[in-house]
This record gives sequence, structure tokens and C-alpha cells, in this order.
Amino acid sequence: MNETMTSPLVVASPDEVTDVTFDRSMEVQIKRTLQQYPDSGAALLPVLWLCQERWGWISRGIMEAVGKRLDLAPAFVEGVVSFYTMYQRRPPGKYLLQVCTTLSCQLCDTSALVDHLRQRLSIDFGETSGDGLFTLVDVQCLGACGEAPVIQINSDYHTDLTVQKLDALLDRLAGQ
Amino acid sequence: MVTLTIDGREITVAEGTNLVEAAAAAEIEVPTYCYHPGLSVVGQCRICFVEVEGMPRLVTACSTPVQSEMVVLTASDRVREARAAVMEFLLENHPLDCPVCDQAGECGLQDYSVEHGLDSTHMVDERRTNPGRERHLIGPHVVQNQNRCIHCTRCIRFATEISETSDLTMKSRGNHSYIDTFDGRPFDNPWSACAADVCPVGALTVKEFRFRARVWHLEETRTICPGCSIGCNIMLGHLNGVVHRFVPRENAEVNGWWMCDHGRFLAEGLERRTIDVPLERFGEGERRISWDSALVQVAQWLREAPQSLVVASANLSNEALFAVRRNLIEGARMDVIVPVNEGKTRRMKNGRGLWFSSTDAHPNSAGARHLGLATVDAANLESYLRDDSSPVLILDAHAHPWLDSEGAAAITANRRVAALARYRTPLVDTASIAMPLASWAETDGTFTSSTGRVQLARNALPPAGQARRAWEVVYRLALELGIEQERAMTTRILFAEMAAEVAAFSGMTWGRLMAEPGMPVHEEVLGVG
Amino acid sequence: MTDPILLRARGLKNSRSLATYQKLGGYSALEKTLSMTPAEVIEVVKASGVRGRGGAGFPAGVKWGFVPRDAAKPKYMICNADESEPGTFKDRELILVDPHMVLEGIAIASYAIGANTAYIYIRGEFVDEARILAKAIAEAKRKKYLGEKILGSGYGLEVHIHRGAGAYICGEETALIESIEGKRGLPRLKPPFPAVVGVFGCPTVVNNVETLACVPHILEHGGAWFAGIGTERSTGTKLFCVSGHVERPGVYEAPMGITFREIIEDLCGGMRGGGELKAFIPGGSSAPVLPADKIDTAADFESVAQAGSMLGSGGLIVMDTTVDMVWALENLLIFYAHESCGQCTPCREGSDWAVDIVRRIRRGYGRPGDIETLHRIARFASQGMTICPLGDAFCGPIASFLEHFGHEFEEAISKASSRTTKALPILPVQSDREMFGI
Repeated sequence: MNETMTSPLVVASPDEVTDVTFDRSMEVQIKRTLQQYPDSGAALLPVLWLCQERWGWISRGIMEAVGKRLDLAPAFVEGVVSFYTMYQRRPPGKYLLQVCTTLSCQLCDTSALVDHLRQRLSIDFGETSGDGLFTLVDVQCLGACGEAPVIQINSDYHTDLTVQKLDALLDRLAGQ
Repeated sequence: MVTLTIDGREITVAEGTNLVEAAAAAEIEVPTYCYHPGLSVVGQCRICFVEVEGMPRLVTACSTPVQSEMVVLTASDRVREARAAVMEFLLENHPLDCPVCDQAGECGLQDYSVEHGLDSTHMVDERRTNPGRERHLIGPHVVQNQNRCIHCTRCIRFATEISETSDLTMKSRGNHSYIDTFDGRPFDNPWSACAADVCPVGALTVKEFRFRARVWHLEETRTICPGCSIGCNIMLGHLNGVVHRFVPRENAEVNGWWMCDHGRFLAEGLERRTIDVPLERFGEGERRISWDSALVQVAQWLREAPQSLVVASANLSNEALFAVRRNLIEGARMDVIVPVNEGKTRRMKNGRGLWFSSTDAHPNSAGARHLGLATVDAANLESYLRDDSSPVLILDAHAHPWLDSEGAAAITANRRVAALARYRTPLVDTASIAMPLASWAETDGTFTSSTGRVQLARNALPPAGQARRAWEVVYRLALELGIEQERAMTTRILFAEMAAEVAAFSGMTWGRLMAEPGMPVHEEVLGVG
Repeated sequence: MTDPILLRARGLKNSRSLATYQKLGGYSALEKTLSMTPAEVIEVVKASGVRGRGGAGFPAGVKWGFVPRDAAKPKYMICNADESEPGTFKDRELILVDPHMVLEGIAIASYAIGANTAYIYIRGEFVDEARILAKAIAEAKRKKYLGEKILGSGYGLEVHIHRGAGAYICGEETALIESIEGKRGLPRLKPPFPAVVGVFGCPTVVNNVETLACVPHILEHGGAWFAGIGTERSTGTKLFCVSGHVERPGVYEAPMGITFREIIEDLCGGMRGGGELKAFIPGGSSAPVLPADKIDTAADFESVAQAGSMLGSGGLIVMDTTVDMVWALENLLIFYAHESCGQCTPCREGSDWAVDIVRRIRRGYGRPGDIETLHRIARFASQGMTICPLGDAFCGPIASFLEHFGHEFEEAISKASSRTTKALPILPVQSDREMFGI
């Protein structure tokens, strides 16, 4: 898993996601998704994922558009989006550093990684580095405890991390 | 039907009844927060635990249907302990706001704390707060204090299941969850204040009522909403002659547990009064006169003219309209018209989940029709008043929006106009005689809804100052006109005589109307109007 | 121990491919299944005694039997790949190593309950794993192991992947169902149970990935074979996930009944850096913690329950003597407070409250009543006070940490600073009844 080169996120600016319409290819995917369920409401989570993959985060314009498309009240959509932590409510940086802070990783000294990240990037959890590259978030158990410490960067798991490995990794990502 | 035992009392209830309702039938109160008879069951608050013999764990009464031979304990030691723990959990993050919270006196936490809670807490940590949501105007009529929220979700379920507007939601999760609208947009559906009604605590309160009065000081009068022809049942809260609020009163057939914002906030206009004594146009201005002088003068005009017009009102009670029919139509042979108003569409859901719609802005158009009075709309009202010089008696100058207009004043400028009114309008200012009319809060009587339901509105207050009720004015006028009266009159007697004479009311008595939530008009009459 | 069953393909080149799976005999169990009646299949699984490996340990065959056969509504099979319990990472391993084994298990289970649609609910973070499963489904469909008319029979099954989005609570079966339906993952009141009223109001069975992975082997070799492995009431092999202070953390397959000592010392190479064992959590963070002297406990449902904990998911978290147990409990409670759905009062309020107290103790501001308060919270946010077992999941740790390591908490409190911070309001701690004798 450590050898994968994590791709940067494609993040739309706030202006780009106010009046949202779904283009043809998204519509095709939405229709395909709808066919998987007898009830259109069940397509909500998958369609939100499609939107996040397309625009990088879930804006209010996206929530309204999804609500309209699936015949769901926008307040309901927002209630769902806010329940699940992986839907981003603000534009993230290119690399979302999701640091596991639960027990098994902590037992393997993830706090040293956290301190190092805070120092190297000059940000704390919930913030994005000044260059817009890295957003740091603390997350709960990622389910790879045997390879702790674990950080998920965008979609990829990076495991068995040390401060050195982490530095090298960030260098490579920053250089991309 | 199912028979079971609750706290040693045997009770028989319909199949499917939950244990909260079954206990209530046995006159035992099980505390509840998230449970509401008009909303779906979620079993979330966990305060309604009861013990059922044979079940190892306590069960939530709201989500447990009765079963034959069930033995239920609502106050065993296990139940008491569990309830006290839930109360402690609820109060743990709840701010000590009672001194500044409008809900005090009708607050679920206050009510159940005393009986079911502990008398101290083990909590010494900082309470979680929701900065920016402590006095947040979430909608035009509702103030939110999220710190007080106990997450019962009644407000959300109201907005989804009753108003069907789905404009409230829970955001985030766990102890950080909070109630909000989409994107912070205003919570402004036509029944928005009902969300504050269902909120058991002061997390959602009505803006108009904020800091007005302590509820335990209020007198509460059972009456009907004057906002439209649906006739929602309400409680009118007042103190020292001031009306402070309308809140809905339960009526399964008419309005369930609900009322709309339009009707609710008519409470705010009730004190509006700028005519408090009878006035007579005198030269360029006006002068005060006595009721006697006013009625003598009006009677004289009516006697002298070959034909006179009476503009009654569909805001008037059945008794007032019956008085008009008996004295002015049958007794004095006058033309009487009742303006009816096509207003905004009002909708209401009753306790059975059925929607009713009304475009009739008056509470008693049906009553007017059942009494055989002629109803006219605005266009016709204008034509009646134009091009005629006979005197006109307007029994309610606020009977129709058109009467408030400059146009109405202009048309009647050259006629002898006697008007009963509460506040000044162009027509009232140019009327020959203006007399103070009692307000809705000062009137008692019956009103017939658009579904043919006769309901009793009681008066909260006596008429202020020299104001009089319409039926009293009609009777005093009748005496001046020389129409024989057999007896002294009260609304009750008037109602009894009306019930004896008018088919729609046959079989009704005032006593039954006091006890029952309205009565349907006699079947044969339902087709009328 | 015997040859691995569930992890037989680990280490093989292209272990995930259909070709590898077929070479190892994959999908022959499905073929066999199609020649049996669903009722017969359920009997075989019942006979195997296989118990749910997601944490609850409920016998899978019995659960399948709860689905009303003649119900008019369509039935649904759901594979629970939400795997979010701290210390648990076996389902991920199975998907990475042998996704077809999981698919074959899903297919057999679906056939047994009469479902023609199955969903794999996979946690949102498992992006690669979801892609791997999607690829495997496509492969299987091409070879007619899934889709319409499987292997020429009249039975068809569509398997769809439904990704979660970051909520541990969606591992609870009714919250999972709510999440599939596109709502906030709030657990439902039970009854009704999913077997009768589940997803879309239809009969539904939810099974864990590992449980389903056992199924093809059970059908291949028979229920008695499986029941012959492990212990009498905890049959078969189990995937133990070991993390924390061991030399070689990872996923290990062993028969039920192996002791924790054997797992730590033989399979994992002993304590990390030669350290000394202090405590271990046997079955994922929701399992009560056990002290070092319980290390010879057998890892099966009954033995662990007798020792005062639960086998749960088999996620073994090992802690050596460097660990401050107050710190460890705080970490776990933060997890549960973060994951609480917020529906019901005891969990929503109690989880956060417990974090506050333990955090305060760890920072040196503990107060004499704190331990009693923690016990009180643990008592009243568990055992049916809450809608779902997440209440029990954080109350178990509180009670067990206090039971076995209470002295660490007491010590922290006794050393606590006597000055109060601004954050501590001064409230009466003596009740009125005590003060006024009323």
C-alpha cells in the first residue's frame, strides 16, 4: 500500500458549485445507481459520493441539486450530509491527511506523527496549509490496526508510518 | 379490545394502543418527551420506561403495544431508578435558564424533574453549548435556543409529518447534533409556531410571546380562532385584560393539535381599539354621545326611511346573526346582507391526518347561510352601497377588507351610515354615527365552521369601556324600533331559542357545546350554503 | 494448527483473481448449493454452528431461518463490510486477499434466504477495497457465478456495492439498513427485527464479511466438518486481528479456543521489544478489558464471557506496562462519543460526559465523586437503557477499566490539583435531602 502514488484531489471553487447541474456523464451514472434500488431515496449516499468525486466537496448548491434530482427536501439532504464525516463541507486541499487517532495507532506512537505534522505544516486538525496542499483531519479507527500508525491520504492508506517515511511521502506529494 | 393490568388496575383498551395511552386510560401518567399522540413513535428520549412482568429489560411505553394479560408496573424501583437516571442525563447539559425561559410553567423538564428526577446532580463539568444558537431567530415566529434542546425530534417530525414542509433537520451527530433549517434559511411554513408548541422545553419558543408573561399567571379561555372558516379550537391566554397569546387546543376532527400562524398571531391585533365611545359626526368633526342617544338616532333613521340596508358580518356569532334575523329582518323588514371574503387559502390537518382547506376568511359564513341570511362578495357589496341613499347600518365595519378602503368611504359619504367598529377606517371616520364593538376576545357565542361544525367560543374578557357586543346592540335597537321583546336576553337564551327555531341547530344545547368539541349541524341542513 | 481456510490464498500471486479462486476449488460450493433446497442449505449452516463474526456472535444459520419463506415481499441479503470497531481489520484482509470467497458466501446466503438482490455495505474509507469487490463482481458475472441464471440455474442474484461515508454506528445492522435507504444512520427500535422488516420494509439478513467467508467452506465440506474445528459452541476457525504492543501485529487465522497467550507468543512473536503484558482487549474496543493474568483464557465466545469480557470481532488490542490506563480509556471514550448517533438520551449525553470526566482525571483535575459518577453512567447507559448496543459498547470499557485498573484512576484523583479551573462550576454535591434531613 505504501508504494501507491496518491493522486491529488480535484477541488471545485465555491463559485463553481452554487448553481449545480448534472452533465450527461453524471446523469448516466445517477441513472445506473438508481437502478440498483427499488427506492430512489437509497441513491442519496452514492450520488453524494459521485458529487464529491466530481467537485471535491459538498456545497449547498450541490445539496440543493441532489435534493431536486432525487425528490428529497434539501434540509433532509443536509441532515444526511452532516451525519457522515467523510462528506467534506468545505473545499479541502489537494491532499486530505486523515490521521487515525484511535487506540491501536496511539499505542504505536501516532502522536509523534501528529506533532510532526502540526509542526511541519504549521496547522492543526481541521485546517489547511497555507499553500493549499494539505488539509489535516483527525479520524477514528481506519481498520488497518495491524499496520499502525495509519494515515489515509485521499483514497489511499499509508501504513507502518514513521516520521521519516511520512516526511518523504509529503515531500513526494508536494513535489507532484 | 385488550385487557391488561397497570399498577394493579385492570384496564381494557383497543388493540394496538401503546402503554402510554393505556396508562392514561387508567389515569396513570407515564412521563414522555419524544412521544406525541399526533406524531410518529421514535422511542428516543427513554423517559417512558416501564416494567412489564416477564420481560427481562424495561421497555419504552410509547413503542410497546398492549397485549392481553400484560402486567405493567409504572412506578417500581427499577423504573424509578431508570427514570431518575434519564432525567439526570437530560439535565446534565441543560442550562439553568428557568428564570429567563418562556417555557417555565409548561416545561416537560420542570414537570418531571420534581416527581421523577434526583434532587441534585453528579455533573461538575462544563455543559456543551451551541454558540450563536442561544437566541437565534430560526424563523419569523420562532426563537431557537439550541442549548436547551433535549433532542426529542418532535419539531422535525412535525415539519415532516404534519406541515409536510420538511424544513427542519438534525445536523451533525452525537452530542453535537443540533436542529436547523437548510442552509440557515428561515423556518417559515404556514404552521411554523406549532414547532414551538410541540417542543417540550424552551429550545423553540414563540417570538411574539417572548418575555410577555409567565404562563402560570395567565388566564386561559377556551375559544375558536377567528382567522378563517376552518374553526381551529384554541386557548386564549390573557392577563389583566391583555390578550397575550393563542395556542391550539386539541380537537381531533377539526385541527388535531395544531393551528396556523395566521390565525395564531391574530391575537396580536385584538387590543387594537381606537373607537371606545359612541361618536356622532358633528359639522366638520365629531362629538361623543351616549349609547342611548346613538341608538335613538339610528332607530329614527331606520323608521323614517322606506327601506334600509343592514350590513351584517360573517365574523359575528350565530346568536348575533339570529338576533339580526329575528329583529331586523322579521321584525323591522330590513334588507340584510352578509359580506363573505375570498381570502388566502388556509389549510389545516386534523387529528386523523386529513387536510382541510378554506378560502373563506370568516369564521361564520356557514352560520350566516344556515340562518338564511343573504351572503354577498366584495363586488356585490360595493354595488349594494353605491347609488342608494337609504340609511345603512353596518354591524361590523371590519367585516370585509373592502369596507376598510377609501372607496367604501367615498361611496357612503352621502348616506346616513351607522357603524359598529373597533378602530378607525376611512368609512368609520365619515360615518354619521360610530359605535364601539366588542372584540373577539370579548365575545361569546357559537360559530359554524365550513365543515358544518358548531363550536362554542367563550369570551376571555368583558367588553372594554363602552364597547358592546353586536347582539346586544341589535336588541337595544329593536327596543327602540318598538319590536316587542318577551324577556331579557343572554347569549345562552338566544342560543336555546335559535336551536328551537332553526333546523341547523336542532337538538343542540349550550351545555353540550361546553362539554363536547363542537357538534355537527343537523344533517338535512348540511347541503345548504 | 491446520492449514488456513479463510486465508488460504494469502501470499499467493494474483490471489484475488477468479482464476486463482477457481484453482483452489472456488465456486464449487455454490454449484453444490444450487442443487440443494434453501431449507437444506440452512440446515447445513445451522449444523456447522457458525456464529456471527461481526461482534454479536449470533448463530448465522438460525438468523437465516428467521426469514419468513413465504413472505410476499422480496428478500435482501446484506454483507456488512463496515468494519469500524477499533482493533478490527480482518474483513479488510479478506477482501484484499480473497474477495471471491466473500462473494461466494454472499451468493450461497442469498440463495438460502431467497434473496435476488444483495448489497455489500462497505465503509467509505475502504475505497480500494470497494474497487476490488466491484472488479470481482464483474469477473464473477462474466463467468455466470452471479447475475441472471447463475450456472444455468433458475436462480439469479445481483450484488451491489453501497459505500458508507464515515460512521461506525452504521455497522449496527438496523443503522446500516437506514444508511442504505439514504438516511442518517440511526438504529431502529427492535422489534420488528430485520428478518421480518428490514431494508425497504422487506425481510433482510445482515451478515459480517468473515461469517459469509466461512459459508462456502461449510457447504463444501459439510456442517459437521466445521463444527469439528474449534470448541463445541464456538466452531470453526477465527480471524484474530492483533494490534498494539506485539512484535508482529496482523491478522492470524486459528481455531476457536486457542488461548490468548498462544496468539500473542506463538503467532505474534511475543510482546513488542520484550515488554511486559499489562492488559488486553480481546474482541474489539467494545469488549471489556482484561488484565494480564487472564492471558491463558481460551479465545472462544464462552470462555471469554466467563473471564468477564467478550470475543466480539476478535480484534485483540495488546497493551504493555508503559500504558497509562486512564489515557487509554479516555481514547476509547472519545471514539464512542464521536460515533454516537445522538438519538437516545443515555448514550448521547453519557458518552460525552464520560469523556469529560476521564479527561479531567487524566489532566490532574479529578474529583472524589468521579469514579462513582463513571459507574453510574456505565450502569444507566447500558443493558437496555439505549436503543442499540453502542451504549453497552462504551459502558463495558468504563466498568472493566475501573474494575481492573481502578487504582490508577484513584491515584490520579488523589494527586489532583486542589485548585479548580474556570471550567468547573461550583455546584452542590450534597443533596438537599442530606443537607436538610428531609
